[in-house]
Amino acid sequence: MARYDLAGKRVWVTGHGGLVGSAIARALAARGDVDIVTATRAELDLRDQAAVGRWMARVKPQAVFLGAAKVGGILAYDARPAEFLYDNLMIEANVIHAAHLHDVEKLLFLASGCMYPKFAAQPIHADSLLTGPLEPTNQWYAVAKIAGLKLCQAYRRQYGRDYIVTVPNNLYGPNDSFDLDNGHVLPSLLGKFHEAKLNSAATVTLWGTGTPRREFMHVDDMADALIFIMEHYSEAPQINAGSGRDVEIRELAAVIQDVTGFDGRIVYDGSKPDGPPRKLLDSSRLLALGWQPKVPLREGVAALYRWYLQNAADVRGRAAA
Amino acid sequence: MGYNLSGKRVWVTGHRGMVGSAVLRALARRGDLEPLTATHAALDLRDRDAVWRWMAQSRPQAVFAIAARLGGIMAHAAMPADFLYDNLMMQANVIHAAHSFGVEKLVFIGSSSAYPKLAAQPLREDSLLTGALEPADEWYAIAKIAGVKLCQAYRRQYGSDFICAMPANVYGPHDNFDLRSGHALPVILRRFHEATERGADAVTLWGTGRPRREFTHADDLADALIFLMQAYSDAAPINVGAGVDTEIRELAAIMREVTGFRGGIVYDTGKPDGPARKLLDSSRLRALGWTPKIALRDGVASLYRWYLENLASVRGAGCAGG
Repeated sequence: MARYDLAGKRVWVTGHGGLVGSAIARALAARGDVDIVTATRAELDLRDQAAVGRWMARVKPQAVFLGAAKVGGILAYDARPAEFLYDNLMIEANVIHAAHLHDVEKLLFLASGCMYPKFAAQPIHADSLLTGPLEPTNQWYAVAKIAGLKLCQAYRRQYGRDYIVTVPNNLYGPNDSFDLDNGHVLPSLLGKFHEAKLNSAATVTLWGTGTPRREFMHVDDMADALIFIMEHYSEAPQINAGSGRDVEIRELAAVIQDVTGFDGRIVYDGSKPDGPPRKLLDSSRLLALGWQPKVPLREGVAALYRWYLQNAADVRGRAAA
Repeated sequence: MGYNLSGKRVWVTGHRGMVGSAVLRALARRGDLEPLTATHAALDLRDRDAVWRWMAQSRPQAVFAIAARLGGIMAHAAMPADFLYDNLMMQANVIHAAHSFGVEKLVFIGSSSAYPKLAAQPLREDSLLTGALEPADEWYAIAKIAGVKLCQAYRRQYGSDFICAMPANVYGPHDNFDLRSGHALPVILRRFHEATERGADAVTLWGTGRPRREFTHADDLADALIFLMQAYSDAAPINVGAGVDTEIRELAAIMREVTGFRGGIVYDTGKPDGPARKLLDSSRLRALGWTPKIALRDGVASLYRWYLENLASVRGAGCAGG
């Protein structure tokens, strides 16, 4: 497999203010051998086709990490399907098309584990894409991600572009959204436990039954994997990038309870949606290429909690603590 | 329910294409509304800002979102990025702008290729996304699936009355007769015509001739789309088909007769067949009270007359007309 060396390249990290983008930018900065380029949302609206074209023509990146996306939780997807579908379709199509027009050498598109069928065999293999119905609650986001994946494959096939796709699972880490309605599972839980502890609440109520199993990966592991994949992977099929281990939400809650020091009780609100029963990616392809995750869940959660305490006033989705 | 088109400003996108021109003809025959059109030169639907400006200036009340980049199996396989990107952008720009400017009703034209390759036949609307797509035209199919989902998403989030109609193989005037990028029916018709002109011994057709396809005349489809715009208002896509499928060999026999070709028919089995059968279950449309009016033989005969009259300008046929 042809290796693509990032050393000395001008690398555009889209969504660099977000969870994944900020981790990629940190990891690239730590390497010190690439020219990182970024644009804030105020400088560049990725949904704006003409603006993306102008930016690409002016900045001329050689490699692009396309991690920018409009993301939310189950309720947000359900309430605002048009925004999640339209915004993500436009972000992907604009960046990928402009990358092609301006001869970007390598592009890595970050898809999502939710694009696999709801009842895909576990662990989920790359081949299961489009073989069955999607989870209805996040189908809007999933369809956008499938379109982005197919765009990368289409530009590879028609124009020989080295545009690849990586599928992450649930990520967590600094700069995540802690919003109780729109955030991801892990930071939402962490925020809830923290608040309950501050209020000396008797109970923390969690959505669903607590029995779904989820795979979590710390975003620093993700960034490390993405940089590895950009340099070592060059094929049309998407490559799964998970930690390889899944835990029950109840197990995760126990870890978070422990880390935050909340000494009340945990109650499950079974009337709220659970989402899919299990979501574990088959990441054997990535492991076979020689990459390994480094951050265990407990350490990752503890690190995230320290970050949360230091940055609580600025955290997305939460007023000053 | 019930949306009355009378007196409305109605934008038909892709009005120079086969389906769009049929809708425009049917709307003109009604004579009780104001059709709006924009040529490709005047408005590139892939250009977000241009679509926005056009919508702000023209303020349509109803939209037939028909414009699409279309091709045959070989074209889809050779130019996947163009088919996917162009169709994604065109539909997203039109649908998003329609929402932004308060369009009252929009009909998006999907495609039977959005259904899984191995879905049970006849194809039901609820088979969407239940299985793998036909790889030969998955790029086009993904774009159409995204279009269906966009309509559903705007309906759900904003209450927009945007609906999706799913046609199968459509044929009619202004069809694409290009031997490489055209659709099966017009391409086969052209082969028979050219073989007749040359006095050839045989016509060679791609594949085994065994696949079964449903062919719907563009005038029937246009009639159904106008019917649906006024009578249908639901998130589920709705199939629009003639209701009968025909083996390619049967179709070839009709063509042979219509063109007066006297030679034989040879099947080049080295070329791809595509899906074995594609017939839409259009029972939901029938239940609403719509039926097709044009029989296949009549439709092919009228298409052949149109082809002969328009040889000089037919898409893909070149100036000399073979």
